Amino acid sequence: MQWTEWQRYILAFVITATIFGIAFFVASRIDQGRVADVRAIQDAIAIDLLSTETQFELLGNLDCELLGEHPVLSEELSSLAERLSYTENSLGDKNEQVIQLKKQYSLLQIKDYLLMQEISKKCGGKPVFVLYFYSNEGDCDDCGRAGEVLTYLRQTYPDLRVYSFDYNLDLGALQTLIALRKVRNTPPAFIINNKVPVYGFKNVEEMQALIPELRTLSTSTPETEE
Amino acid sequence: MDIAALGVYSCLFIGLYFEVFLLISFLQNKPAKKTSDLPRYYPTVTILVPCWNKAKTLSATIHSLLELQYPKKKLAIAIIDDGSTDGTFEAAQEFANHPQVKIFTKKNEGSKYAALNFGLEHTTGELVGCLDADSFVAKDALLEVVKKFESDPDIMAVTPAMRVERPRNPLELMQAVEYLFGVFYRKMFDNLKAITVLPGPFSIYRREVFAKIGGFRHAHHTEDMEMAFRMHKNGLLIANAHTALVSTKVPSNLGGLVRQRIRWSRGFLENARDYSFMFFNPRYGNIGILALPFGVLAFGMGLFTAAYMLYTTVSSLIVRGFNLWTTGVPLQLPTPSFEWFFMDTSMLTFLVFTVIGLVIYTTFLGSRIAETKLPLHSLLLYTVGFGFIAPIWLARAVWDSVLARETGWLT
Repeated sequence: MQWTEWQRYILAFVITATIFGIAFFVASRIDQGRVADVRAIQDAIAIDLLSTETQFELLGNLDCELLGEHPVLSEELSSLAERLSYTENSLGDKNEQVIQLKKQYSLLQIKDYLLMQEISKKCGGKPVFVLYFYSNEGDCDDCGRAGEVLTYLRQTYPDLRVYSFDYNLDLGALQTLIALRKVRNTPPAFIINNKVPVYGFKNVEEMQALIPELRTLSTSTPETEE
Repeated sequence: MDIAALGVYSCLFIGLYFEVFLLISFLQNKPAKKTSDLPRYYPTVTILVPCWNKAKTLSATIHSLLELQYPKKKLAIAIIDDGSTDGTFEAAQEFANHPQVKIFTKKNEGSKYAALNFGLEHTTGELVGCLDADSFVAKDALLEVVKKFESDPDIMAVTPAMRVERPRNPLELMQAVEYLFGVFYRKMFDNLKAITVLPGPFSIYRREVFAKIGGFRHAHHTEDMEMAFRMHKNGLLIANAHTALVSTKVPSNLGGLVRQRIRWSRGFLENARDYSFMFFNPRYGNIGILALPFGVLAFGMGLFTAAYMLYTTVSSLIVRGFNLWTTGVPLQLPTPSFEWFFMDTSMLTFLVFTVIGLVIYTTFLGSRIAETKLPLHSLLLYTVGFGFIAPIWLARAVWDSVLARETGWLT
């Protein structure tokens, strides 16, 4: 069959547009797979949390020895945070699914935070908590760097529990926490071990000075001898 | 999506569209295999060999011409020494007594076109061609060209399939891949009747072309390109004989390559400007609708993509450096993750790989047409390396064109 030039131009356009469509479809499907993966992890964490809470309510206390053998959720939450952050970068922070995942993640963090406080009361120990409030509304130039510092500290001190919250997330429990702790809308803001909020960017050294309890935590790498 | 990202997607769409268009053209009209048929008629042929400081390679070039499978009485060779200063004229004396070879010398006039016109004036022959003095023809190349002329009396000029002569270093290997891509590209443009250049190595013309539209012009040191544009303007058909193989030496160092490509790129831009009336003009067929607009667009796209990549890389390095400095977090090498979750599976990645895949496939088709095999790493060198160095000459060509800077003929 002899094709006219115009037919060839149009066919090339249709094929190119189809390739673009397939690329879009495949990328979207994989992104949906990521969302499903994050959701599955959140569900698993939610069940674990619920189980611990139920155990707490049933017994009026927790088996502290058992808890020592199975530390609660720190690793899972950290892994979830990493995945959620990647998904947010891929799909954008305005994506409805991302916002839903963030809400669920924030709830899990609050529940874990409350539970850990109860556990530390009953079982002793001196856990170190940092509640970190950030914003990605374009009004916090320092939030990215503040996040880097906390990530580094969490890697260095695996027992440090960092809970990060999007200040502007429309979630009742989060807004209650913000109101209770009197956190101003000037992120980055940090609440360290239930003290008054600290505002503004802090580098590693400044954070270590703000959290002297870090010295009591073990590090992920052996310290070098001087 | 920001404007820059939209620009990148637009570049990808146009690049992909162009490749798809060429592949459709290929599938509709696959290049015929070489046959052992001989021409019914052997026209007289003169090959002009203009040379400026080609003492080292001239002898091999002339020997390759003398070994052409063609009746000796019908083939003449004219060496035109264009005021060389490296002993080219003396080197040509090796052939002083050869009955097929004539040797001329003339004062250099600053561009190759004058040497070619000098050759046209001082020779005869129904077909006249040129061969750069650093190129070498396959023994049956002229037979294949003559057969192509014989296949259609409307064909007024024929281009060969060009390969790189013995590529060795990484830069030559990169160019070897590029030339194979060019073999495919030229054949597809032949299908579309839109060949944009009659390259120095072994392009052959019917002599009547010059009677109809005149000789070569200065044409911003790219007389081969301007001649192709002028032929299209006058409705003279150019074809490609993909079975006529020619090997040519290419710049072996970065400086030489960049200088050569600046000349080519600038020549294209300025000739395109001179022939801008052909753009989007259906009267000139695919040359006006596709080849010229896409050529100019490719310039813009190459520069935009390079600028975008440079900007994003430099800005992210600055941010990274600033963060390292202000946070006090020690520098940590990124640990590669092979978990599917963290693999880059964005639409952009799929599209970039599709474009690269199609370039590799078309290069493979080019290597089949030119009966040439290259080591696999040359393909990697080309896909990775050319993207980094091509913007240098694209930017410089635009810059020189804007400033109207004058250069000599350098290759």
